[in-house]
Amino acid sequence: MRKAATAHELPGTGQVQAKAAGMPVAWLELATRLRPYLYLAPAMICFLLFFFYPIGSIIYLSFLDWSLINLEEMEWVGLQNYRDLLADQDFRQVLGNTAVFTVATVGIGLTLSFLLALWLNKKAKVYGIIQATVFSPHIISLVSVSMLWMWLMDPQFGLLNAALEAVGLPGYTWLADPKSSLLSLIIVSIWKGVGYNTLIFIAGLQSIPGDIYEAAALDQSPWWRTLVRITIPMLSPTIFFLLIINTISSFQVFDTIAIMTQGGPINSTNMLVYYIYEQGMDFYNGGLAASASVILLILVGILTALHFLFMSRRVHYR
Amino acid sequence: MKAMKKTGTILCALALGLSGVLAGCGSTGSEQAAGTGNATTQPGAANNGPVEIDFWYALGGERGKTIEDMVKKFNETHKDIKVKAAYQGAYQENHSKVLASVAAGNNPDVTMVEIASIAAFADAKVLEDLTPYSQGEEKKYIPGLMKNSYWKDKLYAVPFNRSTPLLYINRDMLKEAGLDPNGPKTWEELVSFSQKLTRKEGDKITRYGFSTPVDIWFYEALVFQSGGSVLSEDGKELTLNNEAGKAPLELWSRMVKEGLMKNPPGENYNAWDVAEQDFLNQKVGMIFTTTGSLTELKKNAKFDMGVAFLPANKNYGTPTGGANLVMLAKSSDAEKKAAWEFMKWMTDTEQTVPWSIASGYMPVTTDAVDSPEMKAFYEKDPNFKVAVDQLQYGYPRPMAPGYKELQDVIQKELQRAMLGQATIAEALQNATDKGSKLLKK
Repeated sequence: MRKAATAHELPGTGQVQAKAAGMPVAWLELATRLRPYLYLAPAMICFLLFFFYPIGSIIYLSFLDWSLINLEEMEWVGLQNYRDLLADQDFRQVLGNTAVFTVATVGIGLTLSFLLALWLNKKAKVYGIIQATVFSPHIISLVSVSMLWMWLMDPQFGLLNAALEAVGLPGYTWLADPKSSLLSLIIVSIWKGVGYNTLIFIAGLQSIPGDIYEAAALDQSPWWRTLVRITIPMLSPTIFFLLIINTISSFQVFDTIAIMTQGGPINSTNMLVYYIYEQGMDFYNGGLAASASVILLILVGILTALHFLFMSRRVHYR
Repeated sequence: MKAMKKTGTILCALALGLSGVLAGCGSTGSEQAAGTGNATTQPGAANNGPVEIDFWYALGGERGKTIEDMVKKFNETHKDIKVKAAYQGAYQENHSKVLASVAAGNNPDVTMVEIASIAAFADAKVLEDLTPYSQGEEKKYIPGLMKNSYWKDKLYAVPFNRSTPLLYINRDMLKEAGLDPNGPKTWEELVSFSQKLTRKEGDKITRYGFSTPVDIWFYEALVFQSGGSVLSEDGKELTLNNEAGKAPLELWSRMVKEGLMKNPPGENYNAWDVAEQDFLNQKVGMIFTTTGSLTELKKNAKFDMGVAFLPANKNYGTPTGGANLVMLAKSSDAEKKAAWEFMKWMTDTEQTVPWSIASGYMPVTTDAVDSPEMKAFYEKDPNFKVAVDQLQYGYPRPMAPGYKELQDVIQKELQRAMLGQATIAEALQNATDKGSKLLKK
């Protein structure tokens, strides 16, 4: 209330001052109206320059046929780049790989993190240690982690196959076979992300007030009902947040691919962002890279919108 | 929300600061450009100070250090030219950076380009025609290394760090199996040697006779050995869908099927690393890899290691590899003159001999091969001479502007055939279909 009152007073005092300075009232009102925009200007210029301008320019570039190696010859081709992309078997496989990778990493990753969080959300010291251990992959650089996994997954001399063979199981092909390479990347990605997700889940769990659980205990609610009716709904903002963050980051996976597989064998681990890099930087196909970037933008946009549409209704903010 | 706004403001402040820095860079760049502009328009200005040229190179580690030392020596002996050398990452990264710098107008004057990309760079007019500068001086280079230097009959590059693939042999292993320690000479011998070297324990193969990455470079070699070629004379057609294109895949898939050859896992250079590690660990008896690895493998091999020509099918044959030095078309006349001086010096006999000895790459002039230093070095270790000798059977890497992308297409189809996703005929048909589309672009 106080705030509103001062806001009302302001023009009044302004008028008095304006009369004193001999300035027309209309001018002053305009100045008052423009003032917020002046304050916003640095942020807006930033946004225009570093977000809207690049987005606009990539959309424009996606309608041209051009090569990174010869920027003087750019030709307007309309939707031809998009047609070429969607007709390309490899690009369709790339979209499929990205979808499988995203669904698997987000689905399995979040479920696993949630279960871990339920288990680790306790006071004893040992849980803190386990939590720290699970979190540690998150702080190591993805580049070095990828190289380590590559050694672990070597079919002949890798530690993973040595372990499998030690217990009498046959060795696995891991990155060497198109049938198992995508799964191998999914494993690395889940391993890398599970610690961070668990941490956020635990923070979410701890912010649920204890009296709700006490009430549930008094009603002798079985554990699974407490989980489904209390824990998950109360945790829904956290789940929603992690879902969006994880979906977007899985969509943009790059480092692991660049180091471990470079999209192979036979395109089996090639995903959108790596594909864009390959087309643009390796093959100099600027037009195709630009239109693939626009497709990435649209897909991430749609996914986020869908999340908001379907999930936000089920999210309870306190 | 409040916190978000705050971070937003901080980000903006940072971004503004950054743009200030960028603007700063831009202005120094234009000052430099203006400076060199003066040098060309006013002849007197050239006397005031040395011409500065930028040299971007693409070799790291020990080799990078050798290059820095060479540049330092050049600057000491050439008072009127100052070369500023900068490492820009491996070939691909350097290529991208050079292209970006050309677009931005602050390109280097001399750089290294991987030999199969010279056609693309020359065709896009990024490179300067060297013919008016060289005036016949290019005759000093080994002819077998010059085939990737020309585009549309004009000279665009001079050889710098050059290699060929070689057959590396574990001589101890061959002797133990009662085989000629000089290695197999033909494809049939490669198979029969591998049969004798391969060891099995039950179902498991504990030692392979042979291993090679299923890589475009080695495939090119085997196509040449079978009397074929990758591209037609005019560079418009892929010419792999024939006996010479099929023979390499038939050999490799047969050897893999019979358990004689290991197909090392990993993409591109990852597979090369696996093959070299297996060789050092004596898990395979023979591998294909580049001369560039000779110094390092020799240092780490705990056995008598030798190298030989790649075995012949109809004939011997090998592509060459590595990178050439090129001059950028956008530099000023004064910079170009200085750049040619520098390129000529870097690849001269006096420099290429120590460069070859330090790096393991081949010397690039005919005089260098016959020089007493090189001869003494070869006498000490004849392995280093094999690559130079093999050059008499050298073929250029295919020259076409789109070859960088095309080789990726071919390699994917090779893998498809090797992993049983397609028959050899299907794979080569696919490569031909996609290739003809690419080459017509």
